[in-house]
Amino acid sequence: MNLSIQNLSKTYPNGVQALKDVNLEIPVGMFGLLGPNGAGKSSLMRTIATLQEPDTGSIQLGDLNVLTQKTEVRKVLGYLPQEFGVYPKVSAIDLLDHIAVLKGITNGKERTKLVKSLLQKTNLWQHRKKGLGGYSGGMKQRFGIAQALISDPKLIIVDEPTAGLDPAERNRFLNLLSEIGENTVVILSTHIVDDVKELCTNMAIINQGEVLKTGNPLEAISEVEGKIWSKTIEKEELPTYQDKFNVISERLIAGKPEIHVHSDGRPDDSFAPKVADLEDVYFSRIKESTQPAEVAV
Amino acid sequence: MLEFIKFELNYRFSRPVTYIYFLIVFLMAFLATSTDIVRAGGSGGKVMENAPVVITALMLAIMIFAIFITSAVMGVPVLRDFEHKTDSMVFTTPVSKWQYLSGKFIGSFIIVLLISSGLLLGAMFGQSFQWPWKDNMDNLMAFNFMYYWNPYVIFVLPNLFIFSAIFFLGGSLGKKMTVVYAQGIILFMGYLVAQTFLAELDNQNLAAILDPFGFGSLAVTTQYWTVAEQNTQFIPFSGFILYNRLVWGAVGIASLAFLFIRFNFQLAGNASRKTKKKGTREERELKDQVIESPVVQQIFGFSAQLTQIRSLSWFYFKWIIKQVPFISIALAGVAFVFIIAFVGGTGGYDIEVYMTSSRAVDMIGIFNLFFIIITVFYTGEIVWKERDVKMNLIYDALPFPNYVSTASKFIGMVLMSIFILIMLMVCGILIQLIKGYPVIEWNVYLTSLFGDTLALMILYLILGLFVQALVNHKFVGFGLMFAFYISMIVMSEVGIEHAMFYFGRASVGNYSEMNNYGHYLTPFSWFNLYWFGLAAIFYAVAILFTVRGIDSSFAVRLKLGQQRMTRNALVTIVGALIIFAGSGAYIYYNTNVLNEYQNSDDGKADRARYERTLNQYEWIAQPKIIDTYVDVDLYPKSRDFKASGYYVLKNKSDETIDQIHIQKSVDNQLTTDLSFEGGFSVDTVYEDFKYTVFNLDNPLAPGDSVKMNFDVVFTTVGFKESGSNTDVVYNGTFFNNSAYFPSIGYNSGFELSSDDDRKEQDLEVKERMMETDDPRGIAQSLFGDDADKISFEVVVSTDSSQIAIAPGYLQKKWNEGDRVYYHYKMDTPMVNFYSIISADFVVIKDTWQPPVDTLQEVNLEIYYNKGHEYNTERMMNGMKEALTYYTKNFSPYQFRQLRIMEFPKYRSFAQSFANTVPFSEGIGFIQNIKTNDVDLPFYVTAHEVAHQWWGHQVTEAGVKGNAMLSETLSQYSALMVMKKNFKPEIIKEFLKHELNSYLMGRTFEQKKEMPLYQVEGQGYIHYRKGSLVMYALQDYIGEDSVNAALKRFNEDWAFKDAPYPTSKDLISYYREVTPDSLQYIITDMFETITLFENKTTEAEYEKVSDTEYIVDLDVSTIKYQADSLGNEEAQRLKDWIDIGVFAEGSDGKDSLIYLQKHKITQEENSFTLTVGAEPVKAGIDPINKLIDRNPKDNVKSVTEKEEEAI
Repeated sequence: MNLSIQNLSKTYPNGVQALKDVNLEIPVGMFGLLGPNGAGKSSLMRTIATLQEPDTGSIQLGDLNVLTQKTEVRKVLGYLPQEFGVYPKVSAIDLLDHIAVLKGITNGKERTKLVKSLLQKTNLWQHRKKGLGGYSGGMKQRFGIAQALISDPKLIIVDEPTAGLDPAERNRFLNLLSEIGENTVVILSTHIVDDVKELCTNMAIINQGEVLKTGNPLEAISEVEGKIWSKTIEKEELPTYQDKFNVISERLIAGKPEIHVHSDGRPDDSFAPKVADLEDVYFSRIKESTQPAEVAV
Repeated sequence: MLEFIKFELNYRFSRPVTYIYFLIVFLMAFLATSTDIVRAGGSGGKVMENAPVVITALMLAIMIFAIFITSAVMGVPVLRDFEHKTDSMVFTTPVSKWQYLSGKFIGSFIIVLLISSGLLLGAMFGQSFQWPWKDNMDNLMAFNFMYYWNPYVIFVLPNLFIFSAIFFLGGSLGKKMTVVYAQGIILFMGYLVAQTFLAELDNQNLAAILDPFGFGSLAVTTQYWTVAEQNTQFIPFSGFILYNRLVWGAVGIASLAFLFIRFNFQLAGNASRKTKKKGTREERELKDQVIESPVVQQIFGFSAQLTQIRSLSWFYFKWIIKQVPFISIALAGVAFVFIIAFVGGTGGYDIEVYMTSSRAVDMIGIFNLFFIIITVFYTGEIVWKERDVKMNLIYDALPFPNYVSTASKFIGMVLMSIFILIMLMVCGILIQLIKGYPVIEWNVYLTSLFGDTLALMILYLILGLFVQALVNHKFVGFGLMFAFYISMIVMSEVGIEHAMFYFGRASVGNYSEMNNYGHYLTPFSWFNLYWFGLAAIFYAVAILFTVRGIDSSFAVRLKLGQQRMTRNALVTIVGALIIFAGSGAYIYYNTNVLNEYQNSDDGKADRARYERTLNQYEWIAQPKIIDTYVDVDLYPKSRDFKASGYYVLKNKSDETIDQIHIQKSVDNQLTTDLSFEGGFSVDTVYEDFKYTVFNLDNPLAPGDSVKMNFDVVFTTVGFKESGSNTDVVYNGTFFNNSAYFPSIGYNSGFELSSDDDRKEQDLEVKERMMETDDPRGIAQSLFGDDADKISFEVVVSTDSSQIAIAPGYLQKKWNEGDRVYYHYKMDTPMVNFYSIISADFVVIKDTWQPPVDTLQEVNLEIYYNKGHEYNTERMMNGMKEALTYYTKNFSPYQFRQLRIMEFPKYRSFAQSFANTVPFSEGIGFIQNIKTNDVDLPFYVTAHEVAHQWWGHQVTEAGVKGNAMLSETLSQYSALMVMKKNFKPEIIKEFLKHELNSYLMGRTFEQKKEMPLYQVEGQGYIHYRKGSLVMYALQDYIGEDSVNAALKRFNEDWAFKDAPYPTSKDLISYYREVTPDSLQYIITDMFETITLFENKTTEAEYEKVSDTEYIVDLDVSTIKYQADSLGNEEAQRLKDWIDIGVFAEGSDGKDSLIYLQKHKITQEENSFTLTVGAEPVKAGIDPINKLIDRNPKDNVKSVTEKEEEAI
């Protein structure tokens, strides 16, 4: 069952164009949606999750038209929103049970087993009776995935699940995701490149509502292989370099900026070749997409 | 601290809602003062609309609404920091708790003050100009800033501080807005409870202190203010008002103090830290467990949806009832119901009324408005529940149909409503059991609570769902609901009065144990069907347009709404529309087609037209009824009756009469056919007024008679919009001739009487009654000009399950099929005033042997509703004692029989007809009379029996002062019977209430207070002042002298036709038996409005020996004469007034050991008295015989004189 998105556009009443003619084919398996904050990832995710109406375009999940057959889609959907709250005084087991009922697990015995298995799977079993208000960010996020996994959904959408998690919690969470069945469409949006690198077989890079790049992460890396150069410079020199070279990213290493430049050939000798990774793909794409806009200004 | 103040001010000034609040307050004050929509205080009549008292009442009323604004401003300043999570930022800055809190409080309080200035400005603005929509400016005095400033300073400012402090506390410590709202509602409930206490004399002081708004203290302070005082006096900052302000001011300060101590100026501890550690340990233990995913089945059919609804509803219900505000409001409700039941819960004369189920339900009904508030409030909360906790995206993506969520919220709320009502029902039942009235009428609880109240709550719940779904903004939704509620109040002012326009209005009526809910159930059911039809549409629309997901723009929702418009939804909406329109049409057909509907303005206009058209006929010569025969067939099951009979009309004038004017009953359920024997024709028909002028073929010469036959058919069709007929009912029919049978000539009773109404209709203001010596008035009795005395015969038939009663003696009783016939005939002439009664009665019979052997035995009967036997013995005893006293002192009883009949409590009175006394279920049958209570059933019985003399033997002229002859004399007679049968304390208790009622009555006078001998149907004068004055009269000149005068008066005037006696005649009989030295009291009591201000200022005693004590008293006396508006003028003193001393009696209570009248000629007086026992209290007019506005300060505790140190 594929998810096919055609010509999806959405402009918010305040004029922000969140999605610009988005076309995506998402096969079963883990699909990463990579983009900076405000790129339109959440808008896209919510639209797929039947929670938002696009202005134009269509979304097809197998035989289902996502935009009109909402209830049908929701039956096979597991959704973990980017930000969500919980009833602070309700315990995890009660709330999960409650959500399971709403997902159509009306058989009490089945539900009890299912809730137990999900809580165990997400390592929350020992906290099951605690009010959700006392959960840490990671626990809450795991609870979120537990509810999204109820009844083996065919389409799972997790929106920025690792944001704000400490490394241990993040690993735990990604492990959880990796266990999800093979024949499920899993869309994971994130602005953390490593999330995608570690988990996804397919991905798309999105910025300012536009899809910049789709494909397999490894293939994407190979496209920029040999075109990424790095150099450590002084802070004051940064503007000069930015003017002169196609600086796609900079970061501080021991207090000094290290810049990455995307260039077919070595810019000059002071630059060292760098082994390309997904991050470079990401930054070069983002850089490309924002460049014209800057010129226009 | 200044920083915080500045911050709050800037924050508030930058928010539009601050200005909206100001505007709301301003507009409320403006509308209340510049239109007639709101009538606060005693305004209306002669009290000016800008009198300080009126403005105070108005401002206080607006304060009740504005309490929500205060809570919105004062609840949030600290709360905001928590909600926006800025608490950590603020608390880590180097400010002290004190600076933080006081800065926030002062800043917000300044805003509250500024908003409240709208009240002051709005009121002044509203009354400063001649607004075009205002009828006249007659009701305004010249502008005076103090009229507004006085109430603002004494009530509004302290209230603002008190409420601000309380809300600030709630918001800061509770950290939830709902806590603040709960506080507001509880304060409001405190006001409601105080209101119920105000009605009881003994609890007034409590009410004055308890009322957080100060209404109670205002009411107690100004309750005896005359019209003149209301117009001129400012609200004093003393007495109860001062105490109330102090007590609540202290509450306010205590709230702040408590907050400053308890407020935790540190970051909320991180609760998860501890548990996290524990978690990791446990996690490790479980790490190796193998987890198997069970196979589950997703089910989405209808039964699955039912399961989902059940689960969700229960979830919501549990959530609401666990909310602290809900619990506190509910508990406060329970507490207040108990308080009202046990501290209050009495009726007239502070007598306990048995706690029947319907009374318990009525008590719970006091909180109906608060049920609506709580429903609206939690509806908003629950609609926004998921969004408030930010779980909406998870929920919205779950595969349940839209209706499941709305239905669950709805059912959860309904469960909450039922929960509250069950709780209150349990309270009601408990109260019934504790109060010793264990007759639990389940149908009353079910119908009133679970039919009426629950229906109202559900309707408002659906309206709330609908509004919240449409506007999609919680607080705008609340605002709209509020505006909606207010708009219904305004609607009635512009003439839209039909219940079909008032959302949720469906009255189940007043429950009577005789007639149960009677015929009210039918319209109640139809109206509910109608409203629920509308609500179903609302409900369906709410489901279609409820936001699911994140799109909230109207266009998207419209599109989604179309998407959601399934066949089922369409069928539901169309079905609901059919029910709504169908039941609406049926109701309209009933109320406006089958019955006549008129709003009150149209009704007034009709009455004005009647007067303009027909008043010309008021004084034309007409014959009088001398003989009445009528067959009445009652059909209680269908609420119909037929009456056919005749009047014999005699020309008692000295003109020949060739035209007879007949006023048929204007009741539109009734048709009247008339014919005159000897030939007649119709001259003019005034169809609108059911007034017909007939020409007689043979004119009536003076002394001639003609027989007039009439057929009256009363048919109840359908139901009315309001004012449904409660005379002809399933069980307990009671009506008299005047409303249904034809009468002769113009009826001045249809004329508008209030000055305001008459001005509105461009009619001259008129006197309420004819002058005392108007010959036209003296020529007719108080029963009207249709007849003097008549001979009377009636055959009443009714359903065989009932007994039918009318004046006269039973001649014959027989059955025909399922009907039973009673033939009554009066063998002596009687007044033209008779009743027809029919109900399923239990009868007790007795006889009374007159004290004089030559008189014959009298049969006594009481007809009552089964279960109402509590006081029948008291009534029977009352009849006997009264008959004995009146026979001995006035004249023999003119009939051989006397009957009391119970009728349903739609009306609360007893009324005396010839040998029959219909007696309301509500005033004598369900009172729980205790040893020290005024025996109301006994007393009312004695009063009504007295009317057999005063009214039926001596019938007075229908002129000013007439009620002094019938009502005041009946009060006196009954009081004397009581005096003979009960302890003096009970008489004192009785008179205490009479004094209170008289003084209160003056306050509400709409036109002018009259001296007793000129009384114009003013109950507070002819009943209340009458009792006081007559009791004092017999105390001053002796009971025997008064009775001697009355006996002579009776001898001279009993059983006579015109001319009828007037109050002036009666006064001359009083004067005859009054010594010269006391003639002035006749003037003071009957001919003027005289009041005293007696006060004991000093009371000391010196012990000479065990049997000799010398008491020194300083007293002061002022005697006033008041004019009709209550302007007082001090009078020269030459009065005999009681001086009395109390000692402790054997039973531990005070008993009089000295009581003597002393002549008082100056304001300050000192007395030295010698008494034989240790005095406890002493004073002037100690048992309140004189009318005194401050009766409590007449007596003072006596202290022993201290030995003077030498």
